[in-house]
Amino acid sequence: MSVELGHFALVLALALALVQALVPLLGARLGSAPLMRMGEPVAITGFALIAFAFAALVLAYVQSDFSVLNVWENSHSAKPLLFKITGTWGNHEGSMLLWVLILAFFGALVAAFGQNLPPTLRANVLAIQGLIASAFLLFILFTSNPFIRLERAPIEGRDLNPILQDIGLAIHPPLLYLGYVGFSISFSFAVAALIDGRLDAAWARWVRPWTLVAWAFLTGGIAMGSYWAYYELGWGGFWFWDPVENASLMPWLAGTALLHSAIVMEKRSALKIWTVLLAILTFSLSLLGTFLVRSGVLTSVHSFATDPTRGVFILAILVFFIGGALALFAVRGASLAPGGLFHPISREGALVFNNLMLTTAAATVLIGTLYPLLIEAISEDKISVGAPFFNLTFVPLFLPLLLAVPFGPLLAWKRGDLPGALQRLQFAFWAAGAAAIASYFLIDRANAAAALGIGLGLWLVFGALTDLAFKSGIGKVGPALALRRLSGLPLSMFGTCFAHAGLGLTVLGIVSVTALQAEKILTMQPGQSTEISGYTLRFVDLRPFTGPNYTEDRAEFALGTTRGASLGELVSSKRLYTARGMPTTEAGIRTMGLSQLYVSIGDRTPAGLVVRIWWKPFVTLIWAGALVMMGGGFISLMDRRLRVGAPARRKAALAADGGGTR
Amino acid sequence: MLFAGSDGSGKCRIGRQLAPRGKTDIELNMFFWVLAALLTLAAALAVMRPFLRGLTTDVAGREHDLSVYRDQLAELDQEVRRGLVAETEAAEARAEIGRRILRLSQSVDESAEGSVKPGTRLARAVAIAAVLAVPAISWGIYSLIGSPGLPAMPLQARLNEDPAQAPVEDLVARAEAYLADHPEDVRGWQTLAPVYMRLGRYSDAVAAYQRAIDLAGANPEYEAGLGEAMVARSGGIVTAGAEAAFNRALALDEKNARARFFIALARAQEGNGGAARAIWEEMASGLPEQSPWKAAAARAIAGLAQDSAQASASESAPSQDQLAAAQEMTPEARQEMIEGMVASLDAKLRESPADPEGWGRLLRSYVVLGRRDDALGALDRGLSALGPDSPDGKALSELAGTLGLTDTQVNK
Repeated sequence: MSVELGHFALVLALALALVQALVPLLGARLGSAPLMRMGEPVAITGFALIAFAFAALVLAYVQSDFSVLNVWENSHSAKPLLFKITGTWGNHEGSMLLWVLILAFFGALVAAFGQNLPPTLRANVLAIQGLIASAFLLFILFTSNPFIRLERAPIEGRDLNPILQDIGLAIHPPLLYLGYVGFSISFSFAVAALIDGRLDAAWARWVRPWTLVAWAFLTGGIAMGSYWAYYELGWGGFWFWDPVENASLMPWLAGTALLHSAIVMEKRSALKIWTVLLAILTFSLSLLGTFLVRSGVLTSVHSFATDPTRGVFILAILVFFIGGALALFAVRGASLAPGGLFHPISREGALVFNNLMLTTAAATVLIGTLYPLLIEAISEDKISVGAPFFNLTFVPLFLPLLLAVPFGPLLAWKRGDLPGALQRLQFAFWAAGAAAIASYFLIDRANAAAALGIGLGLWLVFGALTDLAFKSGIGKVGPALALRRLSGLPLSMFGTCFAHAGLGLTVLGIVSVTALQAEKILTMQPGQSTEISGYTLRFVDLRPFTGPNYTEDRAEFALGTTRGASLGELVSSKRLYTARGMPTTEAGIRTMGLSQLYVSIGDRTPAGLVVRIWWKPFVTLIWAGALVMMGGGFISLMDRRLRVGAPARRKAALAADGGGTR
Repeated sequence: MLFAGSDGSGKCRIGRQLAPRGKTDIELNMFFWVLAALLTLAAALAVMRPFLRGLTTDVAGREHDLSVYRDQLAELDQEVRRGLVAETEAAEARAEIGRRILRLSQSVDESAEGSVKPGTRLARAVAIAAVLAVPAISWGIYSLIGSPGLPAMPLQARLNEDPAQAPVEDLVARAEAYLADHPEDVRGWQTLAPVYMRLGRYSDAVAAYQRAIDLAGANPEYEAGLGEAMVARSGGIVTAGAEAAFNRALALDEKNARARFFIALARAQEGNGGAARAIWEEMASGLPEQSPWKAAAARAIAGLAQDSAQASASESAPSQDQLAAAQEMTPEARQEMIEGMVASLDAKLRESPADPEGWGRLLRSYVVLGRRDDALGALDRGLSALGPDSPDGKALSELAGTLGLTDTQVNK
């Protein structure tokens, strides 16, 4: 019965979303305060109802209630409990439900914590949120309903795709969706401002924290997805320029641009129109990502046609929201007052450069992702645009951006002092340069690209630290005073530093893995040993093992250094999930410091077991860097200045602030 | 309380067994509607909320902008104090923020901010419409797409269900679950193998027979079954592996009808019709009248005569064999399995009637089941679909003749 009650709650949430979409808009037109405020309790109740529906579905998965079609198709009673729960969103219907759950969650947050927003803006924002929620709830209920029942419950389910039976499914999609959907708030704010025809300093302040939240989650989500693919697919790669990955990278690039242009808008009232456009584009790219992944377009343009209702529905949603918002932008954009002027060499100038590069990069990825689809739709030819395309286009675009990152925070608003900034960055420059030269000679005196890449990564890290050092006056004043100043710096400055340094760490990881990794493919008999990058790996034995819903062949390896010290055992296996008859590889990974040894096994041949071994130096930095970036986002979010005080609360806040700095 | 899923469905099971749509089902259903009504009420209350409580007056929009600019001024002061911004630059910035504040107070005079007034008549009408829309939309849509009466069926409830009412697939799943825990049970594998054959899961059938042989040692029935499963898996061709299995069966029991039938079929498929006919004839003569293999052999010989040995023999044999296998099952399961198979074939032919072999199989099935009227109906449909004068139609009429349905052949 709880399943049906969940189904009913979802339908009820649709009714509320429709009310939320229409009534506050009408209220704003009629000038009726109660109608405008209706969005708030409705948004919160709608979230509660969707959460209830989601809980009912999770419960059906936990109990293996195969009278629910979706559960039967994607679960198995022998599955471990964790994968029963995560399996809820490991399929199309469930993941769409998670998507709206998060959408409603953000809407409820605006309703609960948006008390300090001007009433018409608040009403409009909630109405746009309600409109998005209505569209997706309609989509779920009529084309992808997870609550469809089976008259006769089969005894056993079809099990979840084995690749998804992993802890990664518990982390990656929720984080990614928190990112994707978080941008809906920036979008709603942009559209609401366009409807209102008012765009001011306060608007930028309200948009920034939401963008920051979404950006931080998306960063984490992409990084976790990358790490998951790295260890689960058994190819040892961390990024495949796969369309699904690109779909998440595009909103990240646009969102990063939005984050930076919102700073300019808040501080200098400049770039207003551009910021609004970016807010619309970022969420549009999120929607496009959802569309590409969910409609089946990516596997093939032709598989899209096999389920036309679903694809056409998503396409209609896409056209309505992106087209509608851009049309509104075209009509209203011109009426927005332009903001302050600035010199090209200034903080604003640096941020404009950042925006240009990021949006161009996002456009490049967009073309690389959609072009094959277009070709396939027109000519039936299947082409694939892979790493070579992106290496040739994306990388050259990103390099100047990375070089410029440390300058941004060091330039003053309005009119910057480039020689001064260069002087301040001296230390970072020489330190990074020395590291590059040292690594050139230490590695093999041949790999200049790797050395330069390592230099670039360190340049970003040291550059970010330079900014903090300069702002706290290290070197100019005594250490005690400098420390006190450092701790007195606004949290958002630490956030900037962490985010930029994290970017540097990721660059370091990517460069060292791409340029310096060692790879070995060989066949091994039990007892045989091999060496790679100073480690020896002895193949002990291949043993069968039976898990709860799979059987596997486990290859056991004894790991040691070439000098003879033992480092214990390493297990790599090939699994067969019995319900679907699908094999997966479980790579054996040993982390040593920041580097990893990665062992994946292939088929058994007469000559022995096919074993692939990689030595991946500093590979963990790729994801650690992303986590540092994410952390930077959250630190910045804790800054009081970003949480706009209500006018009524202004005095108290100012007093507390003044007391703190004096 | 809402989540008493397994408990609730346990009750349902009893209810269903003793009396369909028992009291507990209805009670549970009532309970659901009460809860749904409560949820709807809560949702409607949320819509009405702004009208139910007094409103806190909102601060005008320009106050917000003013507070942002004041914050900016304060930040500027702090940065000057930290020495991050020179005093001259700060003065300039202050002037700029001051200009923005000035512009703000000018623009405010133009747009009358205080225009937010409560409840006009129109607003009240909108509110009432919104409140009414909530139950109307939700109950309307739910009645279209929901299945309120259907009880939950968690794993435990499904296992407790009466097996007699469950379809074959469930019985198989149950048996599989049992065998996963007791892989040494020969009888289990022996029972499951023919069922797999009937369900068309030929690879599983091969595995099951193989397992039974591994556990119980060589046995003519298992070996012959294994061979047949291999034949079915390879689409009716008697492969070398299958023939080896039949030969092993014959080595243990030279009279095994199944093995002999397929050895003959192997000869026929090799193009050695004479050898095949010899084996089939010898086999038919030695078998009792009611044996399905006698009829199968007779038909195979007839098919050989029509020079379409492979198709007709391989089509007829498994279905005969499936019937034979069905005799090892419980009566209910057997009935359900046969009816299900024939019904699905019938349905398939209604959808895509251009399938001469399918019509032949359907006719044979109805004749074997003794459903003569259905057989005649199928003949009618088959002939009209294939065209009575087409070669396929004629072959079907001929088949009808051999099956003893000749009268209709004349009529149509």
